Amino acid sequence: MQHDLIIIGMGLSGLMAAKTALDLGKRVLVIGKGMGGLILFSNTIDVLGKVPETLPLKDGLSHWIKEHPEHPYSKTGVEGIEEALSSFVSLFPPPYTFHSLDERNRKLPTAVGTLRPTYLFPSTLSGGVFLKEGNTLIVGFKGFKDFYAAYMAKQFKCRYLTVSLQEEGLPELTATYLTRQMEKEEVRERVGLEIKNSLRGETLIGFPALLGLNDPVRIKAHLEAITGGEIFEIPTLPPSILGMRIFNRFKAYLLERGANFLQGHKVSRVEVKGSICEGIEVFHPPISRFYSAPHFILATGRFIGGGLEAERERIVESLFHLPVFSEAPREEWFGKNFFDSHPIHRSGISVDHSFRPLDHNGKAVFENVRVVGTILSGHHYIDEGSREGIEISTGYWGVKRLFE
Amino acid sequence: MGLKTEVLIVGGGATGVGIARDLSRRGIPLILIEKGDFAFGASGRNHGLLHSGARYAVTDPQAAKECIEENRILRKIAPHCIEETGGLFISLPEDGLDFRDRFLRACEKVEIPTHLISPEEALHLEPGLNPDLLSAIQVPDGAIDPFALILSNAREAEAHGATFLLHTEVLSILSERDKVKGVRVKDQLTGEEYSIETSFLINATGAWADHFLKPLGLRIGIALSKGSMMITNRRLSQRVINRCRPPSDGDIVVPNHTVSILGTTSVRVMEVENFEITPSEISLLIHETSRMIPSIEGCRFIRAYAGIRPLFMEEEKEEDRSISRGFVLMDHEKRDGLKNLITITGGKLITYRLMAEKASDLICEKMGVNIPCSTHLIPLPGADQPRGLKERLKNLPMGETLCDCELVKRDEVEALLKDKKLKELQDLLHRTRMAKGTCQGGFCVYRLLGVLNESEKEFGDSNRILKGFLEERWKGIQPILWGSAVKEEEVVEGIYKVIFNLKS
Repeated sequence: MQHDLIIIGMGLSGLMAAKTALDLGKRVLVIGKGMGGLILFSNTIDVLGKVPETLPLKDGLSHWIKEHPEHPYSKTGVEGIEEALSSFVSLFPPPYTFHSLDERNRKLPTAVGTLRPTYLFPSTLSGGVFLKEGNTLIVGFKGFKDFYAAYMAKQFKCRYLTVSLQEEGLPELTATYLTRQMEKEEVRERVGLEIKNSLRGETLIGFPALLGLNDPVRIKAHLEAITGGEIFEIPTLPPSILGMRIFNRFKAYLLERGANFLQGHKVSRVEVKGSICEGIEVFHPPISRFYSAPHFILATGRFIGGGLEAERERIVESLFHLPVFSEAPREEWFGKNFFDSHPIHRSGISVDHSFRPLDHNGKAVFENVRVVGTILSGHHYIDEGSREGIEISTGYWGVKRLFE
Repeated sequence: MGLKTEVLIVGGGATGVGIARDLSRRGIPLILIEKGDFAFGASGRNHGLLHSGARYAVTDPQAAKECIEENRILRKIAPHCIEETGGLFISLPEDGLDFRDRFLRACEKVEIPTHLISPEEALHLEPGLNPDLLSAIQVPDGAIDPFALILSNAREAEAHGATFLLHTEVLSILSERDKVKGVRVKDQLTGEEYSIETSFLINATGAWADHFLKPLGLRIGIALSKGSMMITNRRLSQRVINRCRPPSDGDIVVPNHTVSILGTTSVRVMEVENFEITPSEISLLIHETSRMIPSIEGCRFIRAYAGIRPLFMEEEKEEDRSISRGFVLMDHEKRDGLKNLITITGGKLITYRLMAEKASDLICEKMGVNIPCSTHLIPLPGADQPRGLKERLKNLPMGETLCDCELVKRDEVEALLKDKKLKELQDLLHRTRMAKGTCQGGFCVYRLLGVLNESEKEFGDSNRILKGFLEERWKGIQPILWGSAVKEEEVVEGIYKVIFNLKS
């Protein structure tokens, strides 16, 4: 089968690139080792956490772009980011929709009792905005080790309830197991009743983000009907059910529109002639297959995703051996303290306006390869709170500019 | 509040706790104070090597003899803290065989059993070794868990009436003319200050020995030698692998549970605390140890750490490796005219019991007590317990697995929480395998704090403790961050800085 575009990487940037290409009527092949960062991080859509709540995000972004010409956002511009975000939002029809509140960052409660600013989030998380001392009951599950209601409740000076779903002595509970359990009506009846009986005037109920994979809004409504309180979800340690919902929605959309989706496969080699990538070899145990296309998108992420690798003395891009731009010499990759801003996270691939990778002289290394997502240089998504915004906007514009 | 005792021991390392066991067995009332947890200093920061003494046979026969004798005793009294791995001394082409022959003769002289084997036999036993090796010698090295050893000693001492005050720091020494009267101390956690009166004072502060004596105007001449070590994420060999050449940097790889520990360097430092591991030490360790086990070059490391060896020197020497690893027992009555103060320092983990015996003998002599030492005869508490990974897996407690790397279950932690003496997170970490595996606590410490919150036993504000732990963890992780370790670090930063939005 002929493809117009091959996308390497199934994180949010790769998926966004695939969606954009399909919307333009292109034939797409997406290859990925796994779910990318979605299973680890993507709880909500961060665009630029640094912008204060008092300011419309748009204004904060304009200012940021002016101050940071090397940032991936300066390639897309504020309007470009907004257009990409709308495309993302359009993927989620009601009832499970993503939205902002007043087009500003809002602070949502975390599992360790801090507040974290984010921009777009599903309606199942909105209630968290109203959490105040004493007005919320935090619910956890006995035997679930990736969320502790007591920890969060004490930090917020609220009460908590630990629900027991099984008898003592059985194996521990995982996020995916609990999520499937919450999809069962009879489980919800039990849990809901226990919550109801534990309420002492609380109007809000904080629940780990396990309200089902497929229909969280209905599950939330059911629990609210039983308990009489407003339920909101709280992100847990990985794996992220919130991220899985995003992944599943993308996957369904891409498959519906005829994309070829190779999940669980690794690109073993790229075939390069001069500044042209002719194709890629994918390892399907026990054989390898060769795929070619006129265009390629590299969306392999940073260290976690395997896009970048830190050797003893230098950072390399694993697949095309693209030049990696690094602001910091080896001995300064990491700061003295954990909570320092570590310069290694600013390293990455530098690209031109159409997201083609550049060498150190500013010349495009490949004609037909575009690089999108967090592998790009010039940002620090951890410090900035910009991970998903970068993934969505560069994934979108990487493809849009290619076919414009 | 004030306390009064017969003997006051300062220092909760192997030596101090060993003395507590010894004296309490002889029926002498005592208190031991320690400013941190047990094994705060070098006792908790070493390879965990059950020395055969062979390493010192050529250069320091006296120390070697002490090592092999104690090695035999510890196998009897502390089998639950020991893995009898055996050890090899391998000669590489660049080492030649001259040193090996001297080594064999020297071992024979101090009665360390050796068995010379061929390269083929060595590679059969340890397939990971450098295939170019010229020969290998089997010696009775092993691995020892220092923390378990110290806890067993403490348990027995307590059963004999000894009192341990952890997290208790000495503020000043109370003395008059020719006598020490006691010490003024501070409870590190409550901030409470009080005095402890004592008839005899034992300085078992290891690397802090000079620092401790300073207010009395005394100095014994301790050289502080920093030794850095690195932990791999898997076990590289079944046996302790030593380089058969004169003692030098990067000449040993010790297996320990599921990991291996590479050691060491020897760098003179001026400060007992606040030292760091330099990139050149890391490079040196990898370069040298990978000559013995080539796969070290591409290994993933999970932590680097350092300990300070207190080396006693009567005169200044150029090279720290030439200073004896033997111990020093000092009677300040003879030396400085202070009747009831003694200092014991230097030595090695493996000789802790002998050091304790000699120190206890001296105290008994001063007290006019004539009861002989029995610590070499009676097994430590726990010696009859099943041990090893297999036994542990068979008896795994219930509850969720808080630490996936080292299989620590919730029930194990809850059982520990019944001990009221545990006063901080690190006390719990020391007493389990938590945070010792591949992720170094990146995931499980949040979970541990979750359990503490549920049990109403958190030791203060959880976020402050969590952040403190992450910074402490960073010290060990930062020097080894490359390769796949960087992947995991990005995940850990993602959890704490992104999902949890914690700030310094």
